Amino acid sequence: MKKIIALALALVMALSLVACGGGGEETKAPEGDKTIKVAAIETAYGSQVWADVAAAFETETGIKVELTTDKNLEDVLSGPMQNGEYPDVVHLALGRPAGLTEQLIKANQLHDLTNMLATTIPGESTTPAEKIIPGFTATSATNPYGDGKTYMAPMFYSPCGLFYNAKLFESKGWAVPTTWDEMWALGDLAAAEGIALFTYPTAGYYDAFMYALMNAIGGPEFFNAITNYEEGAWDSENGQTLLSILDKLATYTHKDTPAQANNQDFTKNQQMPMDGRALFMPNGTWITGEMADYAATLGDTFAWGMTAVPGAGNAPCSFCWIEQAWIPAQAEHIAEAEQFVAFLYSDKAAEIFAAAGAAQPITGIADGMEGEQKMFYSIYDNGATSALGGFAAFAEIPGVDTSNTFFAPIDSLVSGTMTIAEYADLVKTNSALMRENLLG
Amino acid sequence: MKSNLKRRAFVFACVAPAVILFTIFMVVPTFNVFRLSLFQRSTFNPEETFIGLQNFEMLMKDAAFIRSMQNMLLLIVMVTIFTMGTALLFAGILTREKLKGQNFFRIVFYIPNILSVVVISGIFSAIYAPDDTGMLNSILGLFGGKNIAWKGEQHVMTSIVIAMVWQAIGYYMVMYMSSMAAVPESLYESAGLDGASRVAQFFQITIPLIWTNIRTTLTFFVISTINMAYLFVTAMTGGGPNRASNVALFYMYEQKNKSGYGYAMAIGVVIFLVSFGLSALVNKVTEREVLEY
Repeated sequence: MKKIIALALALVMALSLVACGGGGEETKAPEGDKTIKVAAIETAYGSQVWADVAAAFETETGIKVELTTDKNLEDVLSGPMQNGEYPDVVHLALGRPAGLTEQLIKANQLHDLTNMLATTIPGESTTPAEKIIPGFTATSATNPYGDGKTYMAPMFYSPCGLFYNAKLFESKGWAVPTTWDEMWALGDLAAAEGIALFTYPTAGYYDAFMYALMNAIGGPEFFNAITNYEEGAWDSENGQTLLSILDKLATYTHKDTPAQANNQDFTKNQQMPMDGRALFMPNGTWITGEMADYAATLGDTFAWGMTAVPGAGNAPCSFCWIEQAWIPAQAEHIAEAEQFVAFLYSDKAAEIFAAAGAAQPITGIADGMEGEQKMFYSIYDNGATSALGGFAAFAEIPGVDTSNTFFAPIDSLVSGTMTIAEYADLVKTNSALMRENLLG
Repeated sequence: MKSNLKRRAFVFACVAPAVILFTIFMVVPTFNVFRLSLFQRSTFNPEETFIGLQNFEMLMKDAAFIRSMQNMLLLIVMVTIFTMGTALLFAGILTREKLKGQNFFRIVFYIPNILSVVVISGIFSAIYAPDDTGMLNSILGLFGGKNIAWKGEQHVMTSIVIAMVWQAIGYYMVMYMSSMAAVPESLYESAGLDGASRVAQFFQITIPLIWTNIRTTLTFFVISTINMAYLFVTAMTGGGPNRASNVALFYMYEQKNKSGYGYAMAIGVVIFLVSFGLSALVNKVTEREVLEY
C-alpha cells in the first residue's frame, strides 16, 4: 500500500512538472528591435555566405537575424517544428531524403510568396520578379499546387546532365552522343574495350536524369503528363519509348553499380567515369567540388565534361536543379521574413552568393563565370533545352512515394531482379493512386 | 512514529526522480505511440483525425512493410542462431581447453563490440567491395571464384547477417565465459573418470549449468537485434538496393517522413507487439528446472 501511495505521489509530481513545462513563458525581444530566425542548409557553398548575407541584411534594414546553418538541417529543425517553434525563413530544397519541404507542402504549411515577388527589394528600387530569369517561378519546383501561386523562392540553380571524362573521349577519338542511337553505338564500342556505357551514384540521381529524358523524348507535354500522373501517359508512344530506353540502359549499366548505390559507397560509383570504368553518369555541377580530391590524384588523364541527356524524338535536354527558400505558414514574423527573402535577390546578396560559387536564377548571373562553371552553365547555349519542376505534390498515401516508385526500382532493373514489364506495372499502379490524391 | 515518517519521506525522495523520469520518457511516449497509431496525422500539421484501425488495415496490404518485417525476422533468427552458437562454442573452448594466448583471443573477439556501427560499416564496405578490390572477392579470386556483389540485391541480407554476427560474438562470448568459469571443476573431473568425452561434457554439464544465463541473454538478444538491425541497415545500405535490405524500424523512420506520423506509429505498435511476443515466446520455450551446484 505504501508503495502504491509513493508511486501515486511521484506521478502527481511528474504530471505537475509536465504541466509547468507547457506553461512557460518565452522570452521575447523588445518591440522595435525585431529578430527573425533564418535556417539554411549548409551545402558545398559553405555556411559563411549565409552569415555574410545576414549581416548585409541587418545593416540594410536594422532587423536582427538569428542564423542557423547545418548540413543536416532537417534534424535540427524537425524537433522544434513539431513543437510549433518555426523559423521565419528556411533555405532547404525539395528532393532531400528526409523530405521536410515536401511534408510541409502536403500539410499546406508554406506561406504564399507571390506578393513578396512584387515588393521592392530592401535598399533597391527593383522587385525580385523583375530580376528572376523568366520561367523560374512557373513550375512545380516553386508552385507546388499548380495554381499560379509561388510558395518557394528559387534561390540557386545548377544544370544537371551526364558527366564524363573529357580526356578519355579525346584519347579514344569518340564523339559525345546527342541522340540515343549514337549512345547505344558508343555503348557497344566501349563494351568492346571493357568499359560500361553508364553508371549512377544512387538510384535517387535518376530524378533529374529521368525528368530530362522525358523532355528529350516528348518535350514539356510528355514531361507534364508523367509528372502529373495523367492516365495513359506510360502507355502512350512516348511512354513506351521511355520504358524501352530505361530497359536498354539497365543492360548497358556497370554491373557493380547497384551494390554501391548507397549513401556509404556512392562515391565509388562516381569514380567509375573518372577512371575509365564507365563513360557517363547523371549528376549536377556540385560533383566537381565533391570529387576534387580524387580528381587531383588522376592528373592529366582526367578532365570533367558535361553533356545534356541525348534526344530521342526531341532536342537533348538538361534538367535544372533548383534550391528553394520558403517561409513556414506558422512563422512569427512573416512581414520581416518576406523582406529577408526579397533581399536575397539584391545586388549585394547576389555578389556574396556568386563569390561562393552559388548561381542564382538572376538574369545575367552566368556572364561573370569562368572555367568549368562557365562550361556547365553554358549547356543551354549549345542547343539543349532546359527542364524545371518535378512530380506534382499529392496527399500522403501510406507506403507510396515517388522515389520508391519511379527511381529506386532502377537498382532492380540493373540487377536483373525486375523486368521492365514489372516496372511498368508498378509505375502505372502507383501513378493512379497519386492521381487520385493530387493536391491543389 | 516520527522516524517512520522520516523514513517514508526519505524513500519517497529516493524513488521519485526515477519514477518521474520513467513516466516522462517511457510511459508517456509509449502511450502516445499507441494513441497516435489510431490517428491520421502529418508530421508538421498538428491536426489529428481519428481513423480507428485504418492504419493497420493499410499496413497489412503494404508489400514494402511486409518485406521489412520478413527481413527483420530473418535477421533475428539467423543472427541469433549464429551468434549464440559461435559464442557458446568459443566460450567453451576458451574456458575448458588449454590454449596458448587465451587472453589474446578474448580481446580480439571483444574488439568489434566496442567499435561504433559506423566504423564497422566502413570496415565492411571495404570487405564487401563488389570488384577485385574487395577483401572477400580477392580471397574468392584465389580459388578461382567469381566476383560477388555482396551488397547487391541477392546477397545484401547475408552480408548484413555476417557483419552483425561478427559484431555481437565477443560480447556474448565473454558473458558465457564468466558463467562457465563458475562451474565447479570437480564435475568435469568426475565426468572424465566416467569416460564422458569433451563434447558430452559440454552438452551435459556446461550447457545445463549455464542455462539461466543463456535464457537471459537470448531474450536480450532478440530485442537488441531489432535495434541493431536498424543501425546496421542505416549505416551500411540505407535499406537498398530497392528496399531489399529494409527492416521494420528503418521503414518506420522512412514512413514518418513520407506517410505521416500516424502510419509510422502503427508500424511502431506492430514492432512493439512482435518484439514483446517474441521475448515472451523465447522465455516460455526455454523454461527449464534451474540446476543448483
